[in-house]
Amino acid sequence: MSRYLVKRVIYMLITLFIIAAFTFFLMKLLPGSPFRNQDKLTPQQVHALNEKYGLNDPVPVQFVHYMGKLVQGDLGLTFQFDGRTVTSMIKDGIGPSATLGVEAIIFGVIVGLILGVAAALKHNSAIDYGAMVFAVFGAAIPSFVFAGLLQYYIGVKLEWLPVAFWEGPKYHVLPALALSVGIIAQIARFMRNEMLDTLGQDYMITARAKGISKGRTIFVHAIRNSLIPIITILGPMVVNVITGSLVIENIFAIPGIGEQFVKSINVNDYPMIMGTTLFYSALLIFSMLIVDILYGVVDPRIRVAGGKSK
Amino acid sequence: MSMTEKKLTDDMFQPAAMDPGKHEEITKPSLTYWQDVWRRLKKNKAAITGLVAIILIVIMAFVGPAISSHGFDQQDVRRTNLPPKIPGLEKVHFLGMDGVDIRGNDQYKLKNIPKDQYYWFGTDSLGRDQWTRIWKGTQISLLIAFLAAAGDLIIGVTYGGISGFFGGKVDNIMQRFVEILYGIPNLVIIILFILIFEPGILSITLAIVITGWIGMSRLVRGQILKLKGQEFILASRTLGASNGRLIMKHLVPNTLGIVIISMTFSIPGAIFFEAFLSFIGLGIQPPTASLGALISDGFKQLRIYPHLAIYPSVVMCILMVSFNLIGDGLRDALDPKMRK
Repeated sequence: MSRYLVKRVIYMLITLFIIAAFTFFLMKLLPGSPFRNQDKLTPQQVHALNEKYGLNDPVPVQFVHYMGKLVQGDLGLTFQFDGRTVTSMIKDGIGPSATLGVEAIIFGVIVGLILGVAAALKHNSAIDYGAMVFAVFGAAIPSFVFAGLLQYYIGVKLEWLPVAFWEGPKYHVLPALALSVGIIAQIARFMRNEMLDTLGQDYMITARAKGISKGRTIFVHAIRNSLIPIITILGPMVVNVITGSLVIENIFAIPGIGEQFVKSINVNDYPMIMGTTLFYSALLIFSMLIVDILYGVVDPRIRVAGGKSK
Repeated sequence: MSMTEKKLTDDMFQPAAMDPGKHEEITKPSLTYWQDVWRRLKKNKAAITGLVAIILIVIMAFVGPAISSHGFDQQDVRRTNLPPKIPGLEKVHFLGMDGVDIRGNDQYKLKNIPKDQYYWFGTDSLGRDQWTRIWKGTQISLLIAFLAAAGDLIIGVTYGGISGFFGGKVDNIMQRFVEILYGIPNLVIIILFILIFEPGILSITLAIVITGWIGMSRLVRGQILKLKGQEFILASRTLGASNGRLIMKHLVPNTLGIVIISMTFSIPGAIFFEAFLSFIGLGIQPPTASLGALISDGFKQLRIYPHLAIYPSVVMCILMVSFNLIGDGLRDALDPKMRK
């Protein structure tokens, strides 16, 4: 396991390095100057400014500086506000984004599990078909379409909940709901198939034959054994939530990282784009690593390391 | 005529002649693999519904713009933001296709549009006909999706095929490379790629292909590794088949099933990513439209002119759901063992 872990972490670092290098050279390629009103500056002033920010150094030297700063968490200054660092902007955005993501995942997983279990227990009934139709639609239709529908029908037409912004618990419901539809669909579908598999196993009959009540066999034997493979879809799910939150935050005007990211694209705030991109890469890569480790922890039969571990 | 009325006498029966040669005769025509797949697919109502829906949408994407008299980039400031109005359906008020906006004003009357002028899906803020734009947008979205799927197919099958077939050192090096690429989130690559190149059909497609082929190549490699060790390959090799023949005649046709399944899922994936890019401002640029761009534009005026977002959303949802249904159906049909 530890050997596998080391290998994975090394791959993770290589990947992050590639992305960081890519973003650095990309920033060099993009047109424009970092200084406002450059036309009004004398060549001496431009030279002095370049000197100050280290832009007179050869590109490889700049690259080393950039990477050095990156390791310390310094992503440069944003163009949007004077003197604010990208890091501080990202710090401000983490709160709402993380809250939204966690709420969506918790809600989605719980509802998805209930739907999936109910569908499997009532196999080939109206509940089963209803849940599966929902799962097909929920998985296929992008979250931003759901976001629009919820906004229009619940926010604008019925006026039950606020249409946008982020000012209290009431404001969390619609975006979290929109973000969780995909999760519910994925989990419900997967859980149903796993449950059907488990329910058909011999040990279920054995348990019943031993005189264990039906409820107990379902909760203790069926659900617990079906839950394990759910971990395998956590990885894609996290990616989905992160991708979805980019747009959802924008639609609901939530001041999270996703919204900052989209805004920075629209105003060509390159350091901010690069900073958020790097942040997202790190987040995605890290969560994939955690999910992969979880596989091995939860189910010892899954040997990611490929051989002798413990 | 019931059995009790009619007497069955012995002379009505004759012993059948025994013909040993006919014992082994196959009376039904044998089905090829693909006929069998089609037979199984036909039984799947959901998949067939999806297939029909996609065919209809593809036809509409090409016919739709032609049957409307308005061009997709034809602006008319006197006719902006008109709600939908469809001949016939305009009399059924609750359908919302009577040219009345959400405040209950008949916009067609207010803006002095002649009685025989209809904008089936309404017009946008520049007075462009939404019907034409939606079908034009569907064309673009489908084009991007099919190009992306084709790109995935070509690169993925070649890379995975070579890696799986040659194995050993070649496979090792090629897989290390894939592992690194696989770790880079596709979201990030796609966005960076679009930032470098101007957003357009080709750059968006390329951005999607750059990350999309990896999944395909892994599937193909796995399948080829599995097939390579089987007896029929050994037999063919013993008979002197060249590598090229082995790949083209034996290995590739046997991986076709998973490749097709994977393609039916990568098409909606590409449609999604194109729409996603439109949402964050990196999508197709006006006046060209795509479904994603239309939905994203429509959302900006969702409160006042919901029709601008709703119709393209509906078309896109039908497309996405249909492709997923076909994908599921094909998976069951191509590989009955995997069915749950």
